[in-house]
Amino acid sequence: MENINNNDIHIISRHSNWSTTSVDDVLHSKIYSKKADWTHFLKLLFISLGVAFTTAGIIFFFAYNWNDLHKFIKLGLIGSLIIGLTLFVAFSKNSQTIKNVILTGVTMLVGVLFAVFGQIYQTGANAYDFFLGWTMAVALWVFISNFSAMWLVFMVLANITLVLYEKQVAHDWSPLTLLLLLILLNTVFLIGNFILSKKDKQYVWLQKIVAIAIVTLATFGVVVIIFDVDLAYNWPLLLVTIVLYIIGRFYAFNTKDTFYIAIIALSIIVILVALFLKVFDFDSGVLLLASLLVIAFVTVVVKYLMKLQKNWDNE
Amino acid sequence: MNKLDKINRLLQKIKAKEGDSFTYNEETILAEYKHNDDNKSTTTIKILSVLGGILATLAFVGFLFLTRIFRSEVSMLVLGIVFVIAAIWVNKIYDKLIIDTASIALYIVGFLMIIFGIAEITDSKNFTVLVGLVIALVSLFSTQSYMLLFISVLALSGSLLSFIWLNEKPNAIHLYIVFQTLLLTIIFLNEAKIITFNKKFSRLYKPLRIGIMISFLVGLIATSKRGMIELSDNFFWISVIAISIGILYLIPKILGKLAIVETNSKIMIYVLILLLLGFSSGSPAILGGILIVLLSFYVNFRIGLVIGVASLIYFVSQYYYDLSFTLLTKSILLFGSGMLFIILYLFINKKLVTDDEV
Repeated sequence: MENINNNDIHIISRHSNWSTTSVDDVLHSKIYSKKADWTHFLKLLFISLGVAFTTAGIIFFFAYNWNDLHKFIKLGLIGSLIIGLTLFVAFSKNSQTIKNVILTGVTMLVGVLFAVFGQIYQTGANAYDFFLGWTMAVALWVFISNFSAMWLVFMVLANITLVLYEKQVAHDWSPLTLLLLLILLNTVFLIGNFILSKKDKQYVWLQKIVAIAIVTLATFGVVVIIFDVDLAYNWPLLLVTIVLYIIGRFYAFNTKDTFYIAIIALSIIVILVALFLKVFDFDSGVLLLASLLVIAFVTVVVKYLMKLQKNWDNE
Repeated sequence: MNKLDKINRLLQKIKAKEGDSFTYNEETILAEYKHNDDNKSTTTIKILSVLGGILATLAFVGFLFLTRIFRSEVSMLVLGIVFVIAAIWVNKIYDKLIIDTASIALYIVGFLMIIFGIAEITDSKNFTVLVGLVIALVSLFSTQSYMLLFISVLALSGSLLSFIWLNEKPNAIHLYIVFQTLLLTIIFLNEAKIITFNKKFSRLYKPLRIGIMISFLVGLIATSKRGMIELSDNFFWISVIAISIGILYLIPKILGKLAIVETNSKIMIYVLILLLLGFSSGSPAILGGILIVLLSFYVNFRIGLVIGVASLIYFVSQYYYDLSFTLLTKSILLFGSGMLFIILYLFINKKLVTDDEV
């Protein structure tokens, strides 16, 4: 029974007198995690938890801002930790994943170093340049390690930098400019990651999270424009959304992944319903129609996705 | 056809193992494979159907608010019953994936309308909750649709939570967690028993598993954030002990998988695990997250694992954020746990690799 899956077991047992003990045996030997899986999983779990908790402990320690500790000791302590761990990552013979997890911890420590520096020399902790510096300082590691968790940290840092820049410096931006720039920034990340990852499975979850973020921002932006005609000069946002959705559709066909089509379709449905409500106002009959429209649209999309999936499976 | 060959090979192999007493209905097995093939669902499609159903429900509730139907309890009640029955009936006669969105929307809207209608007519909160419980139970036994079963499980847990909430006995949430811990552990660890029990249970298994997991999670979230609901600190031990027992019950099974037999290793592992449980004993939510992660990995349930890891990260952050210690104490606690995890990692690295090499 080399390639029996969970579904096969469920269906066959449903229509036969397959004994409970045999089903249990097959589940344990073919479906459930085995020794090698557990070893791999527990190693990764414990080193990730270990690095995360230890780093958090270090962050809290410096956040406590112990006055008796001389500034040289403070900076020296974090500095040597960063250097020591980086050397360990560069020269140890541990597995690549373990080293990447540690490097992700070091990435966080760089933030601690900058924060403590800011604390000592009063450079202001929340300023966008703190995050900008942090982002730039770790960029090289992100490209070299090409590790999905590192990418996530990097993207979050870059997004925070942009949002803080808008809040603290760019007071003259129009309301939707930040939204547009966030969409573009994350699109650059997504495309960069697509190119660098070369369809490596490690990145699938990361790419999907970023894609959801982009589509959510774009949908929000377009719906805002629909309900506020004064913002109609924001045509670049509309244009970018249209171009992105077309690219997304081709990417989905290229990689045979219905996920991207599903989120784009859902976004378009939301936009269409918003448009419908805008044109006809929030009347009771209109809401009833909107409700039916959503069902009809989603049903059509589901049918289309099923057909697509079936074609791709049979290829 | 390739697939047909595969099914036949599987059946022959099972027969060879089981002996002549093994009988199966080839016709229904092939029919079910064909049905699954024609209605091939992916997680993406399931989530899309649910989101579509929720969106349509929101628009419909908006419609109800704007019309007079909302003011007439009897018409709410009647329409609600019609909708729920229609949702189940449509699935029965036309068991196709594409009607999921419509039946989800019908079912949720109908359920809500019945509840609102009853609440207006009786004024008794507990009777309303009881009605919700009964509808959920009846639907659980009268539909085969994955999505409706899943929503019924959530409606069932939702009724229990409303019962606790409406009677202003928030601390009873711990009893709810004990109940869900028990259910969750039993369901995850007895897959073979449940799916071979009868056809109904077999079809119920998957939606029940994910439904109970989410219900359990909702209970944990209620305890995780200080001040979200008024909970007395005196009762947290109930949840902590229940979930700890669940974890400790699972450990020997995992050790069995890892083929660890020496008493010394076992003692060391249990000491470390008890330390870990001790460290987390302030938060049932963290322990619950650990239980979900371990159970999901044990039975190789991916979505469960993802949900478990995500919730664990949230619960741990929330716990340390709310903790009213000085930053220095927090730092020592975190650093200590971090070191403990690294020791566990080194231990596994050494122990399990040498075991493999021998």
